[in-house]
Amino acid sequence: MRTRLPMSIVAVMVTISVLAVLKPTNVTTADQAPVASVTTPPAGPVLKTPWGEPDLQGIWTDESDTPLQRPARYANQEFFTEEQRAELDKERSALLGRDKRVEPGTELDVAGAYNGVFMSFKHTGLRTSLIVDPPDGRIPALTPEAQKIAAADRQFRLALLQATETCKNKSVACSGGSYDPTPSPQRTALPPRYNTARMNRHDGPEDDALPDRCLTGGLPEFGNAYGGSFRRIVQTPGGISMFYDVGQGQGWQRNIVMNGSPHLPTNIRQWYGDSRGHWDGPTLVIDVTNFSPKTDFQGSRENLHLVERWTRAGPSSLEYVVTIEDPTVWTRPWTVKQEFTKQSEQENKIYYEPRCVEGNYALPSLLLGARTEDRAFAEGRGPDPATRDNATDFVGVEEDPLQ
Amino acid sequence: MRLERLVKVGVVGIALWGMATSVSAHHAFAAEFDANKPVNFKGTVTKMEWVNPHTWLHVDVKKPDGTVENWAVEAGTPNVLFRRGFTKESLLPGTEVVVDGYQSKDGSHRCNGRDLTLPDGRKLFLGSSGTGAPYELTPSSQKSK
Amino acid sequence: MRGRFSGSMITVAMAAAAIGAVISLSVTRTSVQAQATHPARVGGKPNFSGIWQANNEANWNLQPHAALPAAVTQSGIFPYDYARVPAAPVLALGAAGGVPGSLGVVQGDGQIPYKPEALLIKKANAEHWIDRDPELKCYLPGIPRAMYMPYPFQITQSTNEIHIAYEFSNTARTIHLDRVEGPPDDTWMGHSVGRWDGDTLVVDVTNFNDRTWFDRAGNFHSDALHLVERFTLMSTDIIRYEVTIEDPKVFTRPWRIAMPLYRRVEPNIQLLEFRCNEFVEEFMYGNLRKQQLVKHWEGDTMTVDITRKVPPGDGFYQWYGK
Repeated sequence: MRTRLPMSIVAVMVTISVLAVLKPTNVTTADQAPVASVTTPPAGPVLKTPWGEPDLQGIWTDESDTPLQRPARYANQEFFTEEQRAELDKERSALLGRDKRVEPGTELDVAGAYNGVFMSFKHTGLRTSLIVDPPDGRIPALTPEAQKIAAADRQFRLALLQATETCKNKSVACSGGSYDPTPSPQRTALPPRYNTARMNRHDGPEDDALPDRCLTGGLPEFGNAYGGSFRRIVQTPGGISMFYDVGQGQGWQRNIVMNGSPHLPTNIRQWYGDSRGHWDGPTLVIDVTNFSPKTDFQGSRENLHLVERWTRAGPSSLEYVVTIEDPTVWTRPWTVKQEFTKQSEQENKIYYEPRCVEGNYALPSLLLGARTEDRAFAEGRGPDPATRDNATDFVGVEEDPLQ
Repeated sequence: MRLERLVKVGVVGIALWGMATSVSAHHAFAAEFDANKPVNFKGTVTKMEWVNPHTWLHVDVKKPDGTVENWAVEAGTPNVLFRRGFTKESLLPGTEVVVDGYQSKDGSHRCNGRDLTLPDGRKLFLGSSGTGAPYELTPSSQKSK
Repeated sequence: MRGRFSGSMITVAMAAAAIGAVISLSVTRTSVQAQATHPARVGGKPNFSGIWQANNEANWNLQPHAALPAAVTQSGIFPYDYARVPAAPVLALGAAGGVPGSLGVVQGDGQIPYKPEALLIKKANAEHWIDRDPELKCYLPGIPRAMYMPYPFQITQSTNEIHIAYEFSNTARTIHLDRVEGPPDDTWMGHSVGRWDGDTLVVDVTNFNDRTWFDRAGNFHSDALHLVERFTLMSTDIIRYEVTIEDPKVFTRPWRIAMPLYRRVEPNIQLLEFRCNEFVEEFMYGNLRKQQLVKHWEGDTMTVDITRKVPPGDGFYQWYGK
């Protein structure tokens, strides 16, 4: 039996949306009609700063969950129906509360501590995918070169698992690989390229994922399950500042150059690239290049090129459209559309000091743990670390129906 | 939001190249803590470190022989907890907590808080305190009626 | 011949005039561009927007001091304070590791009024600079230190918020001109609330933790730190920056620092990244590698060999919390 949102709640939501126009609060639901087109900014008077530029200021976050890619079962649907959204909300609420413990004394139970405390499940959004172009809502095909790189990377990571129980038990994490009780010689090899993701080895900090090293956070940023995705925008005549607070305290400053000068020289590569912005009517257009080869967005590294369009869509909404291209990785550019909702600036807790490295005791701890295991093995007191899986992540909630 | 990453065991992170790493959990607890060293104790909070990426509860644990051990317990992410309404007043020194977790692999008095409860059984940090983050889905187990 | 000479002189003169015209034209264009980007006032108030940087020695040591061989030194052959030599960690840097002298930025008698027990901590901090200075770990520098580190910062001034982004390690703070709630916990960069006193921006900064230092000389504070900053434009390109510092747990009375902050007037100046948490990984975690990575260096006159160690027990984690 389908569950509909009770009408009383709908009425409350509508009322709150109206109130949001009069007095900004952080209780807002998506309050505008779905926009079918990718680039047409919404109609209506443009909100302006006191000095007459379009006003994008505030603390903004995405208040609903939308998958990046359209799940197969919604193949030809651009938008969910109201019933589908309500049903998904119900299923996902049920998942979230279920902090299911698996067998104590297993690595999965240890890992399961990443439970509802860490996750942010929001109401299901209007769209079936954040990707609005290509029209099927899926990331375009990879180039042959990118496929080769991905395969080599995957093969390396599977090699590090081949002697573990994960592969012995033919777990999902080992799919594409196979079990071999002899550890792979790749356990002492470098990965095919600069490592950004988790792997089953902790010989040094570079073996750890960028988030573990408090080096993550990157562009484009349009939503994050672990801790959310917040951006504070402050403007001044001719200038704009965006500071992000993302995930578990990862944050960064975007320095957006607005004076029309060209991009940085090509030898200057940065984690957040080089952002050059200009106004196109009500829309702030930002061109981002000069990414470092240490960044990684869906496989794209130094050749990533973004064109962002930021438009104030209403008193409490900000439309963000980004066209993503990297001809060395994808066979065509693709475009994501996200809507951010204004948060209270008075509640100082919304956007807090985004910082990770000062409290990152976990990284030295896991390195020391790995050295402890190395020593135990060398002294005959413990198993070969190569047969242990330290990388597999148990998110703590079961499969999300938005897949 | 990249929800395709919210699936269990291993589809996250390791098997997939180049997924935006900002979406995965900060680190895998299994790399830091030892499944063979479970801990379960009641202790008194002496200090709270509300630092990202994880809060650390410093807890004094009185052993049966009367000695006191100082433990550090790894818990949720401050920025997330703050948005849900927690503040430094939410867990003051002197509060008793029950810790069910796993000890760190290096053998020091550190553990992860697999389950953190107050003595009356309420789970620490799950759910919200006060205003919370209203756009978040309420777990059905916490909905009234 | 004379005619030719005059001709060439005229040519040179004309060329010089043309070049001069181009130079002055571009200077004018730059100034016009700079002014167009940053009008003198925003919302009726002086506009501090732009990229600025301190140009002094405050980050080395707030107090007046003569130049020193290095930030960490050891006894020379004489037992005098004025005849010390660089200590081992910085010896190979030569003059690049030296500490420049300074008239200091502390107002009044130039002394920081420590309580006696706090002064001992400051001295221990200076002695253990390498292990204790949070700057070396690329931790957040706090206020006021972020204002006078040798890296530029960018002020974006709106009518209700003033945002400052610092090049050092993606540090930032927001000065709230509207009423906001206090932060849920103590912070590294403080909670800044601003108001106008005529044309001076007065900022009250509170809610600090005790983790940051004032400089590389070990000057520190507790979580009772309270600052009152005053920003006043002395000209289009210079801010007078003054701070009244009080911390009843550490100092016997409030004290003040003051310095000019200079606009970075290069035409295409922008903040670049200085993501030092990556740079300091070897310093912070290199002792935990399976195989030591940085161990040996050969110069012409010295060999440097590094032995890493892991502090035992709780000392291990306490090092990161220093």
